[in-house]
Amino acid sequence: MIVRRLLIANRGEIAVRVIRTCRRLGITPILAASSADLDSVAARLAHEVVCLGPPRSLDSYLNIDAVVAAAVRVRADAVHPGYGFLAENPRLAAACEAAGIAFVGPTPAQLAALGDKLNARRHAVAAGLPVVPGGEADDLESARTLAAAIGYPVLIKAVAGGGGRGMRHAHTDAELEQSLPRAMAEAAAAFGDGRIYLERFVTAGRHIEVQLLGDGATVIHLGTRDCSIQRRYQKLLEEAPAPGLAEDLRAGMEAAAIALGRHLGYRGLGTVEFLFDCEGGRFYFLEMNARIQVEHPVTEAICGRDLVEEQLAVAEGRRLRLSQDTVRLAGHAIECRLNAEDWLDGFRPSPGRVTCARFAAGEGIRLDGHVQADSQIPPYYDSLLAKLIVHGPDRPAALARMAGALERCEIGGVANTLPMHRALLAHPAFAAGGVTTGFFERFMAEQA
Amino acid sequence: MDLTDHDVRAILQLLDASVFDELDLETDAFKLTLRRAHGGGWTREDRALKRPRVLEVPPAAATPHAAAPGAGAGAGAGTLEVRSPLPGTFYRAPKPGAAPFVEVGVRVGPQTVVAIVETMKLMNSIHAGAAGCIAEICAVDGEMVAQHALLLRIQPDPP
Amino acid sequence: MMAKIELIDVSIRDGNQCLWGAVALDTAQILGIAPVLDRVGFRALDFTSSTHMGIAVRNHRQDPWERIRMVRAAMPNTPLQFIGTGLRFISWDVAAPEFMQLVYERLVANGIPRFAIMDPTNDAEALLDSARMIRKAGADEVVAALTFTLSEVHDDAYYAALAARLSRSPHIDRLYIKDPSGLLTAERARTFIPAIRACMGGMELELHSHCTIGLSAQNYMVAAETGIAALQVALGPLANGSSLPDAQRVVANLREMRHTVDVDDRLLGAAAEYFSRLALAENLPAGAPQDYDASYLRHQLAGGVMSTTRRQLAELGLEHRFAELLQEVARVRADLGYPIMVTPYPQMVCSQALFNLLGTERYSNVSDQVIRYVLGKFGRPSAALDPNVLDRIMGHVRTREIAQEGAPPDLAQLRRRFKPGISDDEFLLRATMPPQQVDAMIASGPAPVHYNPRVRPILKLLAELMSRPAVADLTVEKPDFRLALHRSPREPEHVR
Repeated sequence: MIVRRLLIANRGEIAVRVIRTCRRLGITPILAASSADLDSVAARLAHEVVCLGPPRSLDSYLNIDAVVAAAVRVRADAVHPGYGFLAENPRLAAACEAAGIAFVGPTPAQLAALGDKLNARRHAVAAGLPVVPGGEADDLESARTLAAAIGYPVLIKAVAGGGGRGMRHAHTDAELEQSLPRAMAEAAAAFGDGRIYLERFVTAGRHIEVQLLGDGATVIHLGTRDCSIQRRYQKLLEEAPAPGLAEDLRAGMEAAAIALGRHLGYRGLGTVEFLFDCEGGRFYFLEMNARIQVEHPVTEAICGRDLVEEQLAVAEGRRLRLSQDTVRLAGHAIECRLNAEDWLDGFRPSPGRVTCARFAAGEGIRLDGHVQADSQIPPYYDSLLAKLIVHGPDRPAALARMAGALERCEIGGVANTLPMHRALLAHPAFAAGGVTTGFFERFMAEQA
Repeated sequence: MDLTDHDVRAILQLLDASVFDELDLETDAFKLTLRRAHGGGWTREDRALKRPRVLEVPPAAATPHAAAPGAGAGAGAGTLEVRSPLPGTFYRAPKPGAAPFVEVGVRVGPQTVVAIVETMKLMNSIHAGAAGCIAEICAVDGEMVAQHALLLRIQPDPP
Repeated sequence: MMAKIELIDVSIRDGNQCLWGAVALDTAQILGIAPVLDRVGFRALDFTSSTHMGIAVRNHRQDPWERIRMVRAAMPNTPLQFIGTGLRFISWDVAAPEFMQLVYERLVANGIPRFAIMDPTNDAEALLDSARMIRKAGADEVVAALTFTLSEVHDDAYYAALAARLSRSPHIDRLYIKDPSGLLTAERARTFIPAIRACMGGMELELHSHCTIGLSAQNYMVAAETGIAALQVALGPLANGSSLPDAQRVVANLREMRHTVDVDDRLLGAAAEYFSRLALAENLPAGAPQDYDASYLRHQLAGGVMSTTRRQLAELGLEHRFAELLQEVARVRADLGYPIMVTPYPQMVCSQALFNLLGTERYSNVSDQVIRYVLGKFGRPSAALDPNVLDRIMGHVRTREIAQEGAPPDLAQLRRRFKPGISDDEFLLRATMPPQQVDAMIASGPAPVHYNPRVRPILKLLAELMSRPAVADLTVEKPDFRLALHRSPREPEHVR
């Protein structure tokens, strides 16, 4: 089929991003937005906007009926769910299918398989991937037994979770006893499913992921990304490819990711997340995200493709026009997420009115944003203002270019994390490359 | 006009080698400002200017005067909504410069004309449809309204 | 009778060739609109030919194979077409069949699924041969041309017989009426099209008629009424003139007559607008609807040939004999078995007519081209040549020389002339083009892929301003467009 009208059921920078590709391809972009976003930049760039409901996400961006009704109303050929919200919700995918509308993403079955993190682990194991030692725990008793088996410290994760949310760690039985009930309650509240599972907590680990693209029959990878700079499991800065990885390790992760993709007969864009245990020198499967990711631009920079365009082609039922041997990865790319937060005040969110939004421009510099002077940042959603992406022929060139680019960016009216990124770029450990997930906490401690 | 990142880079290459320090490009839809930064390099400011085309959601009930659930956060509980039967220009008065048909607080009956919506030179009189008081004027005088757009709210008399 | 009509867009190949000398539209300029074109709903795109591939190398220094691959990748929904005569590839020399087979295979491998074949003399054997080779190469669709012209022999029965012969081939999927001179009147179409269709055994027929004297606007409507399955059209500035009818106008007219055309109007308009802006940005002319010229149906000499011939006569001080020349042109055409008056034949016939006028006897001077034509190197003439004229030409010494020219080298021989280990794609270019041109193309590297016609004027302005450093502030204003350039003060105001 040919997609001529696309409903974008998301907001912020990803909505703008998808609209940009639509306009280039001649696809009519229609934005589905909450009432708080009807005059957003995405709304101004879309061909038209349909209101999903009041600002609260549950009433709008998380409202499956509203999204499908909007898609039907505007005669959309397909729905793009962006990331977050309903992007990995199998019920939205199924509802679209039932309404005869293409869902830009994997099949409902694949979403269900990967959305349940325990299921995902089982699939990974079946596909031959190493997984972090761990398992499901129904209660404190089984949790303690499991923790003893896998060894402390352990990470408590929600089975229905994702995006790094709702995770806690425990170093001892006592901490486990305290954290477990809270983790279960939080999981139930945030994801509607109180089940949790435990994993060994790797202290010196790197978060490395592999980008996959599949059409249901063929799966290829588009290289690695390193997303180890995180605060409370929220990524702040990402790079592609993952720096300083031994060749066999990199090839191993890429092959493992492909194996999982093939095992699932995966369709669309997906990312296989690995935890690389630096001390042990081994990698483990963490989870697979069945959607386009926030940090996809760094992969686009090194492979020279438009991933939204590839997603749309797959949604139209096309075979991949890329094969693994035509994929060329060149250079190094870095992305800094610019959030509306005060990094020196506990990352307190700073909604409000943007007075100035000026960004670096030039060779190898890309800005994916959704704010301009006079934009109102609503308080209901995440704090991502923009992503500054830089590409260079190698990592040192990319670092230098990013440092220069950060200097030239200015966002006024709301607190933002530009200064944090400037400090990160200047930090010798970051410049050396290959920092672990523990780095950012140490970095913040240094700022005090 | 859609400017891709590549277009901007091509412009910057020439700009950088020129004597100019700033370029402003503006259409009805957008404005782009490229400025040479102190210490080298360039910055960009983008502004999307086009007003969004927001599709109105038709109310749940069929008649234009019935209250629609969820229409706007928290406004006018118990009020009756008066919606436009056609897309057009909303006028509060019979003629430019004349007094408006109604103001907030004014009593109306079912047949009271409360506004005009002009569509392709055809003037459609909008009637209150119920006895009560004008609770709120929701549309802006002289502005385009979509079909089914909310024009006024009426606080109906108790039955 | 209401019909469902599909469209084939010829803007990039035929439109470009008719109106822009085939040299406009490089890889980036095509890629700029490819995704939009792909979503319009065209049945196919008339995309490239030998001529265009040669121009890519020679004029653009871009790899024509790379262009095919990239456009194919950007246009997964719309089949791309290659059009050829089957006789040669890029160079003027006739190519060996083995060589042509390789050409077809490489075209299919790089992403061409549809092939249009035309023979300059409507030689059915030649067309059937080509179709067989193309099918063997793996093409999805082979469309053979019935090339239209006006003459004593080219009547409805002639074309019906040709159609019957071609439609029986398992290697041909469709036929199309190719009217390169734009001679098909609506009146003739009413008998012509049904006569052909009746002999096609249910195979589909397309129409491709040039707007040279404005006849296609009407014959396309007749075509829709008489069972044509698809009409070939062009977009915006690449339509009209000596090119094909404007797509948007044809769609509107078809719908007015209650036919169905399944295309996205918004995107059709966007594509037309792209070419308009490109034409503006690159100073290219736009095709205009043409006046009806009754004499054209008689002499069939397109405007360019006429003006060139007039000029040649004037240079010889013989302009007063122009009418006599036109008469001689008609005689020569008949003598030579009514070649279809499409390049290179108009020029060939005109220059022979001129020789005949100037010489002591008719055919005492004969050009190499006419000799080759008579020897059948351009294919078998549509009708028998005048036997006296034939004798005369065959008696020339030059004719014997040309007849003895060797057959084209076979593939293995040809390969040995070049470095071993080069790809087939590169070999095919090296075998048909001067080495410096291929080397220059390769040295240029991958073709640029970005083009935005709306940005070109801005870039040109900036480039232009480089040579005018005195300009400090500049503003350009047009409806819905404002461009301002500023310079920061470098010194305090009082220092001047």
